[in-house]
Amino acid sequence: MNILNFAIFSVKAVVQGSRAYYAWLAFLIVLILIGIAGYSQQLIHGHIVAGLRDPVPWGIFIGTYAFFVGVAAAAVALAVPGYVYHWQPIKEIVVLGEIIAISAVVMSILFVMADLGHPERFWHLLPVLGKPNLPRSMIAMNVLILNAYLVLNLIIVTYFLYCSFRGRPYNRIFFMTLMLVSIPAAISIHATTAFIFNVLPSRPYWNSAILVPRFIASALCAGPALMVLAFQVLRKVARISIKDAALLKMTEMMAIVMFVNLLLFFAEVITEYRSATAHTIHIRYYFEGVEDHVSLVGWAWTGAACNVLAFLLLLLPQTRKYPVTMNLGCFLAFVGVFIEKGIGLVLPGFTPGTLGELYEYAPAFPELMISVGIAGVGTLVFTVLTKIAVPLAFHEDEESSQEPVSSPMEWSQRKPVAY
Amino acid sequence: MPSQGAGAGGIGPGGPRAPWVLLAVVILAFVMLAVAGGPLALRTERPYPSRPLGLEPEPALLPPPPIDDEYFPCEDCHEEESADPKVRELDEHDNIELAHGDLWCLDCHDADQRDLLHLSDASPVEMAESWRLCTRCHAKKIPDWRAGVHGKRTGHWRGPKEYWTCVVCHDPHSPLFKPLEPRPPPKRASEIQLRIYGEQEETSDEEP
Amino acid sequence: MKNPERGARGASRREFLKTAGAGLGAVAGVPGAAQGFDLESFFQRHFRELTQEDLDDLLLRLEQKYSKQYRKPVQVGAIGPNDGVVFGYGLDISRCIGCRRCVYACIEENNQSRDPEIHWIRVLEYEREHAVRSIDPDEGNPFYDHDLVPAEGKLYLPVACQQCENPPCVAACPTQATWQEPDGIVVIDYDWCIGCRYCMAACPYGARHFNWREPEIPAEEINPDTHIIGNRPRPHGVVEKCTFCIQRTRKGRYPACVEACPVGARKFGNLLDPESEIRYLLEHKRTFALKAELATNPRFFYFYG
Repeated sequence: MNILNFAIFSVKAVVQGSRAYYAWLAFLIVLILIGIAGYSQQLIHGHIVAGLRDPVPWGIFIGTYAFFVGVAAAAVALAVPGYVYHWQPIKEIVVLGEIIAISAVVMSILFVMADLGHPERFWHLLPVLGKPNLPRSMIAMNVLILNAYLVLNLIIVTYFLYCSFRGRPYNRIFFMTLMLVSIPAAISIHATTAFIFNVLPSRPYWNSAILVPRFIASALCAGPALMVLAFQVLRKVARISIKDAALLKMTEMMAIVMFVNLLLFFAEVITEYRSATAHTIHIRYYFEGVEDHVSLVGWAWTGAACNVLAFLLLLLPQTRKYPVTMNLGCFLAFVGVFIEKGIGLVLPGFTPGTLGELYEYAPAFPELMISVGIAGVGTLVFTVLTKIAVPLAFHEDEESSQEPVSSPMEWSQRKPVAY
Repeated sequence: MPSQGAGAGGIGPGGPRAPWVLLAVVILAFVMLAVAGGPLALRTERPYPSRPLGLEPEPALLPPPPIDDEYFPCEDCHEEESADPKVRELDEHDNIELAHGDLWCLDCHDADQRDLLHLSDASPVEMAESWRLCTRCHAKKIPDWRAGVHGKRTGHWRGPKEYWTCVVCHDPHSPLFKPLEPRPPPKRASEIQLRIYGEQEETSDEEP
Repeated sequence: MKNPERGARGASRREFLKTAGAGLGAVAGVPGAAQGFDLESFFQRHFRELTQEDLDDLLLRLEQKYSKQYRKPVQVGAIGPNDGVVFGYGLDISRCIGCRRCVYACIEENNQSRDPEIHWIRVLEYEREHAVRSIDPDEGNPFYDHDLVPAEGKLYLPVACQQCENPPCVAACPTQATWQEPDGIVVIDYDWCIGCRYCMAACPYGARHFNWREPEIPAEEINPDTHIIGNRPRPHGVVEKCTFCIQRTRKGRYPACVEACPVGARKFGNLLDPESEIRYLLEHKRTFALKAELATNPRFFYFYG
């Protein structure tokens, strides 16, 4: 039984490891336990233990949710060059991108679950079983597509690893179909996430069509940033070969996308400030504060500064190709987008509320504990899947790593007919 | 340990199909998004039992509240045949603040039949029907009041209801509304605190 | 109890499920298990998919639960909408004095949580001078605290659910747990709501409120005349809102706020009835809707009397 052998192999791969690996697992489990402790607070007392109140009904959970859906969607940043343009250095690591996507989707779903007043009623959202409000409700759409994307990626990764395990080529049509479907699905999960916010005329801060491309652009910064950093860690820890060319290509793309992201951001800022309607109060609250309510101002400028700095570091060839500055650029892009989405997206939209009440939300301790726990789960999923994937998809005899980068010409600059 | 390269997987280069694939992908993406914003079908649902509403009865006029025994019937004190019509400082009724235009007592109260009011043509009006007198000056209010838009109704929007007459709300001697003490303001969101957290032990304490 | 005949039926199934649920909860160690998690409510269908039998069963179950909890007979009704009725509401802002009598009448009638505090009606105070130019609900001050009202130079604007003809909250709800009834009332199935609070984000009028924890209502203050999708005591973790006093108005009565208003500023009636007070004021008064530019088409009309 091949499948059984594959399962046994996988379990062995997960269970067996070095001392450092066990220590890492233990660390993650501690994080998860912290999350469970926080969540049980919420389960016992209700959501009142969170910093949320009626004027600001969503906080760090939904912000982080939007952020990690973006990270998940960023798997396209590998799938497109890998499987649409068949660029070998990236094609080799697409599976790792998919694993990051799976981990990110798992985290997103957990963040939503933690946010629900009645998580046990989650099945009300599911088609057939429940009564999802399709296609009207953007949350229903998003949940549907997000779960489909999770399943799709699980199939892709499992099938890919299973074929590697059996040492035979995969069914090309089957695999390519899934892979190509995963590309619009990735865009869709994040577009619908943006739609959750921007289809609400009640919240002028979000009610802008530009929010959708902004979401996707910022996701294509944060996702690859995380991947570039994670891949380098894997290269050290798991001693797998990931070509520098692949990383460089990703950071190069990030520079372009970060430019688009900043452009859209400035378009939004200029539009808001120059029209100076009553609705501008939300963005003013974020960047300037309103009266003595200034708790987000520091975050706002930090986030913007991170993004600009990341753009510069990734734009200039000297800094992009120098590992320290490249990693700094990726780190700043990740942090900048996290602040922009996790904090700067949700909270100013609710501050002040629709009846003008200005309530300054700050995450309460249990919320932070739960967030830490969910991050632990996501990292655990990533660790486990990579532990299985590494011996299968990345083997030691890497003569290919010696060969020079396939072509000095960039894939993005090539004309398609040049293949 | 399997050593077959999987990343290479047996796929050839993309060739000139790549842009078509990308186009197809983009179209598919648009279709998926179009579904998201698509038209909505409202469902009609199972009707569940409703109770037929009452018929519209004749309006019930809510009479003015009864006047204190101490002051009514007026004739208990006002035994004299005819009243002194002069506008003057009264010895009695100092609890009444008269602030109703330039009106004086006998503009409304009848000088001869002391328990009654009178219209400008001297025809008498019962105290309980004072609204007939009010509308002599405030005729413009009648249509709104009759329609239920000026003044107040209680009871049933469909079914028996009371129409509040003028003096139920307006003091005829001083008809402007007097300021009221408001009920307490709502709590600010920041004041709605979990009593439980930070005082861990008294969790879910029910009121004794 | 209104339907004594429905007691016997279904009891055994309920008992079984309850026991099974308790067992499961205990095994799983769910903290909520002690607070009456049972499989029957877990598997309960959406309100509009309940059969008559299920509905009767549910009403009885709730009546028993509340009567026990609040130590007095509590009735849970499910009166449906009347044909030819669409409710409309009028509020005369030239008369409102901001006394908040309506707010507290609403709390008592509709069993709103006293702690944590939930107010369905919020009275906003404006500078009269400013308000003649524009009245935006996000510019008022709900927290005014004067000795006497109306305060000099102020204008008052009470805001609750506007019962929109085109309700953004209903479109937002991912589970169809909130919907518009044929008589125009937007209601919530408290047993179906997952508590995601998207409707609160979608509502332009701050009309929706979340039970951030188990609501507390002193037993002696409970209003025992309740409606299943109206003023029955709510569980924690769900959203609630004004229902035009569905338990009263579907029986032909005025909402509690109309009866409480000391200046007669509040008007209520059937928009489809040309003789109704609401139609009269629409035809004879200058009216406006809050945030009309959002095209929610409120059925709550503010007017100058």
